[in-house]
Amino acid sequence: MKYHLITLGCQMNLSDSERVAAVLESMGYERTENEEEANLLGMLACSVRQKPIDKVYNKIAQWNRWKNKRNLITFVSGCILPADKEKFLKSFDLIFQMSELGQLPQMIREYGIVTPAMLKETRPVMPKNEHIAEMWHIKPKYQSTYEAFVPIQNGCDKFCTFCAVPYTRGREVSRPSAEIIDEVRHLVNQGYKSITLLGQNVNSYGLDKNGEEVNFAELLRQIGEFGKTSGEEFWVYFTSPHPQDMSRDVIEVIAQYDCLAKQIHLPMQSGDERVLIKMNRRHSMDKYRRIVADIRELLPTATLFTDIIVGFTSEGETEFQNTVAAMNEFRFNMAYIAMYSPRPGAASYRWENEVLTDDKKDRHHRLSEVLKVYSREYNETLVGKTVRVLVNGTDRKTGFSTGLTEGKINVRLDHFDAALMGQIVDVKITSAADFSLQGSPTQTTSLIPNPSPKEKGVQTVDA
Amino acid sequence: MMSFIKPEIKIDESFYKVEEIRQLTDETFSLKLPKARFAFKAGQHISLGIKGDYQSREYSIYSGANDENLEVLVKEVENGYFTPKLRKLKAGDLVEVHGPFGKFGIEQKDAETGKFVFIASGTGIAPFRSMVRTYPELDYTLIHGVRYSHEAYDKHEYTNDRYILCTSRDKKGTYNGRLTNYLKGCTFAPKTHFYLCGNSDMIFDALEILKDKGFERDQIHCEVYF
Repeated sequence: MKYHLITLGCQMNLSDSERVAAVLESMGYERTENEEEANLLGMLACSVRQKPIDKVYNKIAQWNRWKNKRNLITFVSGCILPADKEKFLKSFDLIFQMSELGQLPQMIREYGIVTPAMLKETRPVMPKNEHIAEMWHIKPKYQSTYEAFVPIQNGCDKFCTFCAVPYTRGREVSRPSAEIIDEVRHLVNQGYKSITLLGQNVNSYGLDKNGEEVNFAELLRQIGEFGKTSGEEFWVYFTSPHPQDMSRDVIEVIAQYDCLAKQIHLPMQSGDERVLIKMNRRHSMDKYRRIVADIRELLPTATLFTDIIVGFTSEGETEFQNTVAAMNEFRFNMAYIAMYSPRPGAASYRWENEVLTDDKKDRHHRLSEVLKVYSREYNETLVGKTVRVLVNGTDRKTGFSTGLTEGKINVRLDHFDAALMGQIVDVKITSAADFSLQGSPTQTTSLIPNPSPKEKGVQTVDA
Repeated sequence: MMSFIKPEIKIDESFYKVEEIRQLTDETFSLKLPKARFAFKAGQHISLGIKGDYQSREYSIYSGANDENLEVLVKEVENGYFTPKLRKLKAGDLVEVHGPFGKFGIEQKDAETGKFVFIASGTGIAPFRSMVRTYPELDYTLIHGVRYSHEAYDKHEYTNDRYILCTSRDKKGTYNGRLTNYLKGCTFAPKTHFYLCGNSDMIFDALEILKDKGFERDQIHCEVYF
C-alpha cells in the first residue's frame, strides 16, 4: 500500500506533514512521489491565499476521476476555512484537523462512505485546540537529515484582518517546553544542524498558560544552555514572531548563545501606520523601529528578514511610499513580498479590494528593486570573508552545491562533495549577487572534525 | 462495510444560552449571556458563534468583570451575514463563546492612580463600559462619537461630567460635530492614558491628533473594530 502526500503553504504545514507521514508509515503505508501508483492520496491545504485553495480543488477533481478506474481513498487536512471545509466534505473521503491526527488510522480502517453525519458537521475548527497535544506526541518522519522544524505552538489569537488563521487553526496553544527541549536535544544528537521553532506567533509562546509555562525568552535560554553543553554546532531559528510581543529579553538571549542563530524574521506587513491599523496589527512603526534598534545593537551581525503585503485595502501611493521608506530605513536582507488577495473568512474579505491588480504588481516590482539594493549591499560586505555555511543541496550547475549561511543567505559552492551534505563548513566568499553569494569551501571531507552520527540519514547524491 | 462516523457536536462549556436581548436602538442591541465561570479582564474580547453556523465574529465584552452576565454590544449591519442572525436570536438559543482574547485593558495599579481618556466611536464604547463597571473608582473621561444622540448607549450609567457625547448628525450632543474635531480642541494632563476603540479611520485620525499634542505612542492604546 502506498500513499502520496501533497503539502501546500508554510513551514507549519511542512512540519505537520512530517507527522502525517509518520502516522501513515506506522500503518504500513509506503510513501511514493508518484501519485498515480498511490492507494491513499492526501493533501495538507493552505488557506492563506486563493491559489493553493484552487490547487486543492483541481487536484481532488482529478483524483475523483481516477476513482472510476481504481480504488482510492483521499483525505485533506491543514489550514481549512469553514466555508472550504463544507465543500471539501463533499469531495474528499476523509477530512480531519491536525488535532485529530491520532485518529487517522481508525478513520482509514473504518472508512466506508461519507456519512450524512459528516456532511452535516458544520462546527468550525475547535478553537480551543484541546487535542493538539496528542498530535505533538507523534514522532515525525523528518524529511531531511540535517534540517528540521519543531512546532512549539499552534493557532493564533491576533486576528489580523487579512488573515484567516484563527479560524483555520484555532486559537494559540503552546506545546510543553519539556517536549520542545527533548525534540531539539534528540535532533541535535542525531546530527541535525538547522532547527526551526515554528508557530504563528512564536514570541507569545507560553502566554496562554497563565504563568504555568515559561515564556519564549526562557524557552530560548534553555535551548541555548543545552547547545552550550552539547558540544555540537547547530543553529536554531524561529518563525514567525509578531512585533507586538517581541521583547528585548528575546534579543538579549539570542545574543548570549552561539546556537541561537543570528537571523531574525520580523514581519512588518506595511510601513504605514494607517494601513497597520487597518490590518489590526496592534503595533506601531515606533515599536517596530525600537525592535530593529535592539537587534542592531545586540546582534550586530544578524540578518533581518520580513514579510510585506502590498496593495492591501486602503493602501494608496502615499501609504505605499511609507513602506518604501521603511525598506530604506531597515535595510532588510530579505523580504517576502506578497500582493494582497482577500481570503474568505478573514475580516478584510468583507471590504472592497480596491487596489487594482496592475498597481499591486507595480508596487511588488518597485519594492523588490529596493530590497535588491540592500540585499546586495550586505552580500558584498561578505566577499573575501570566510563564513560558516550549512551545505544543503546540489546546484543546477554540475560540480556545484548549495548552502545557507547562519543568516540564511543562499550560497553557491564551486565544489561538490556528497560527504559535506548536511555539514556546516567554512566557505570563503568569492562573489556576491543580489540575493546570493558564491564561494569555495576551505575544508575537504577529510578535514571535517567529528563527523555527524547520522550517517544513515545522509541524502544520497550522485558525485 | 464499516463507516467512520464523526462524533456528534458536543454541547460543552463553550455553548451558552442567550438570556436576554436588550434592544438599545433600532439597530443596536446587547446580547446577555450567563457568565458562569467565564473570567476576563475588562477590555478583552470574545469570539462569538451561533450553533449550527460555521462563521464567528469577535466582540468586545460590554459587561464588567464582576457583573453577573456576560454581555456584548452588537450593531446590525444591513445585508450583513452575521449580525442579522444574531438579531434573530431569542432567549434560550445557543451561542458558542471562546476567549477571552486580547490585551486591550488597564492594569489594576494604574486603575487606582491613573488618569484615563477613553475615545470611542459607535459600539466601540463596549470595552469602556466594561472598564468603568469593573473599576468604580476610575478617574476617566469618556468621549463618545456617534451620528445621532440616541446612539449614546446606556448613557445614564456615566456621570455627566465624565461622558462627552459628540453627535455628527444632530445637535443634541455635548458637542455637535465629529469626535475628532472635539478632540483637537481638548487639553489633557501630560501623563494621561489614552484608550481608543472603534473604526480604523477614527483611530488613525485620533492618534495623529494626540501625537500632535505631544503624547507618546506608548500612552495610546488602540482596539480596532472591523
